[in-house]
Amino acid sequence: MIEVKQISKKFGRKKILDGVSFTANKGEITCLIGINGVGKTTTLKAIMGLTPYSGDILIDNEKLTKHTYEKITFIPDAAIMLPQMTIKQAMEFMNDFYTVWNQDRADQMLEFFKLKLETRISELSKGNVAKVNLLMGLALDVDYILMDEPFSGIDMFSREQIADVFTSHLIEDRGVLITTHEISDIEHLIDKVVILDNGKVLKEFHTEDMRENEGKNVIDVMREVYRA
Amino acid sequence: MNSNFNTREPVYVQVIRYFKEQIAIGEIVAGEEIPSRRELAATLNINPNTAQKAYKEMEEQGLIHTERNFPSKITSDERILKSIRKELIFAAVESFVETIRPINVPIDELLQVVKEKYVNEGQEEETND
Repeated sequence: MIEVKQISKKFGRKKILDGVSFTANKGEITCLIGINGVGKTTTLKAIMGLTPYSGDILIDNEKLTKHTYEKITFIPDAAIMLPQMTIKQAMEFMNDFYTVWNQDRADQMLEFFKLKLETRISELSKGNVAKVNLLMGLALDVDYILMDEPFSGIDMFSREQIADVFTSHLIEDRGVLITTHEISDIEHLIDKVVILDNGKVLKEFHTEDMRENEGKNVIDVMREVYRA
Repeated sequence: MNSNFNTREPVYVQVIRYFKEQIAIGEIVAGEEIPSRRELAATLNINPNTAQKAYKEMEEQGLIHTERNFPSKITSDERILKSIRKELIFAAVESFVETIRPINVPIDELLQVVKEKYVNEGQEEETND
């Protein structure tokens, strides 16, 4: 489990995160939602140790150390590989760089997305860049995967294909934490929602429980909490 | 089936209803193997944990049963299978009655409309095939 406990962060006088707490379980897809500029990406960066913060973050009950970082990977929303590389070269690079690289899963994802080894990163559409990023991240044998806006700014078919990964065996029983500002087309794919606004968590809930107990979808809840 | 999900009703409940409908119309038969939770999640485009929950609930209702290390199967218990059809009819009629009651239509008129609509649309569907 990823436990974020009362983390805060300031840029100058502006509070970006103001006592943010939530959990993301293994075997579940947790979605950090909120409009732009509410601290979603900063939260992911804090979990990855890419930005200083106050408060505690625990991975499987351990504070962040070199060891815990071997359990997590972060997939940003921009191209992560050099543009002149082919997909094959990018995969070889990952294989050299990471001991947890799983070539078998990488090949399965390549097949799943129908990507070609000889294509250069610079030739990829935005949707295909997102798929390559996802491939690079998911092919690592880690327990937790963080993704920043995996669905934003890409075409409908790429979105559907990426969504298909979430329901497939490729995700296995790993914990996934994604950020998004557009929830409607992935609503039935996710387990849990954390609504963030102005650096604070407004609500944290499981989507099926919310449907079952209150008959509300995620948009209903967002409207409620933003209006309150 | 993806777009047919209602986002305000638990998805696992909708999945169970889907299975019951398939059983009622004979698309799925007694003793038939059902897909694994991963396969079901991928086919219906839903979260695998939701698929798991639907199967657990179906297991509790006696709709499916699982032996160790074998795929789950639809029950062969006739009593349960027969009750599914009744249950679906009852639930559909109940929701219909709830919707129509505020309009206060005399029952004879209502039944006449239902009959015409049901028979006509049934025929249209047949010609479309």
